[in-house]
Amino acid sequence: MTDESDGLHVLLGGYLLGGLSDADHSAFTEHLRTCAACQAELGQVSGLPRLLALAGPAGGPHLSPDAEGDAAAAPSVSDDEELPRLLSAVARRRQTRRRWFTAVAAAAAAVLFGAGLWLGPRLTAPPELPTTHVVAAPAPGSSVRVDVALVTRGWGTQLDLDCEDMPTSGQLTLYVIDRKGGSTAAASWRGTPTGYSQLTGATALRPNEIQRLEIRDGKGQVLASATT
Amino acid sequence: MPLDDEAVAAIYREHGPMLRRVVWRATSDANRVEDIVQEVILRVWRQAPEVDNLRAYLITTARHLIVDQHRASTRRPQQTALVDLPVDDADLDRALDQVLVEEALGRLQPAHRDVVRCLYYERLSIAETSTRLGTPEGTVKSRAYYAVRHLRAILDEMGVTR
Repeated sequence: MTDESDGLHVLLGGYLLGGLSDADHSAFTEHLRTCAACQAELGQVSGLPRLLALAGPAGGPHLSPDAEGDAAAAPSVSDDEELPRLLSAVARRRQTRRRWFTAVAAAAAAVLFGAGLWLGPRLTAPPELPTTHVVAAPAPGSSVRVDVALVTRGWGTQLDLDCEDMPTSGQLTLYVIDRKGGSTAAASWRGTPTGYSQLTGATALRPNEIQRLEIRDGKGQVLASATT
Repeated sequence: MPLDDEAVAAIYREHGPMLRRVVWRATSDANRVEDIVQEVILRVWRQAPEVDNLRAYLITTARHLIVDQHRASTRRPQQTALVDLPVDDADLDRALDQVLVEEALGRLQPAHRDVVRCLYYERLSIAETSTRLGTPEGTVKSRAYYAVRHLRAILDEMGVTR
């Protein structure tokens, strides 16, 4: 795409929202006749004006600079008060819900992606990152359960840990052992009363440079290890 | 199993405020907002959907729940009806879409929101918007372009696909 057509391409916004000068309007209309990319893009967003019209004459509370707070605000609620009520309802209706977890993880990724959208212009879904899953075997005398997802990143490896039946207190550390036997801490955290924790560590090593992962307690005792 | 607690609490913290705004503005009943929001999250937790877009799923569930409650209250007139509810489902759908579009506008970054307000709602020209915002015309044009793309993406993510 040449610089000139880039300049015209961007006029799509004003074309849709209104406000282009007559000269720009003619230039974009002319450009649109021959530019398949702009035609496709216009097709994707052409429903917007009708949706925007729904939002009242001034675009609703978020758009009126003065009314930002009150009009848009729902009755304020303290999470501290309401969350226990919700969780006790969960306890009443509790069923085994392992699959739910996958959904939440996927949703969390979607949320992150959504947040990124309005910070940057990238509109296509990010490619799925190459990920390997391993289950760390508990050391003798230990009953911990640790699932590890090794996600290949440009900077190294992201280590997503799901830990269950962990010690309920004390410090825990994730060590990454490389092929030469050198070990580095990649995350440290505290035991929780539920014995459950979910966390993410990071290492500069690439997945194929990682020989082993170990989760150790505060005394350096290995609770679980995984060979990749 | 504590996994559920963690998951439900995460959803509640992440999406609760948005759901509360949507439900409140669609029903105008402050007393029921929290109940409806919690019921939405409980339903979604029980259904454990395998979805890519949890936000859209929560909003759809809220929509169904509000419609159901509305129908129930019209069947039982002695029960306090949800205040200010539109008469039929089509009106209710429109009201919800309105709320969602306003919510989406609220999620645009401020610079983009200003441009949408000036160009679309105030019907200003690019030149007038440039003067109003103290921003060069070229920047207004490119912001209008990115505002449109971002708004479309935000609405898609909320499940408003029209």
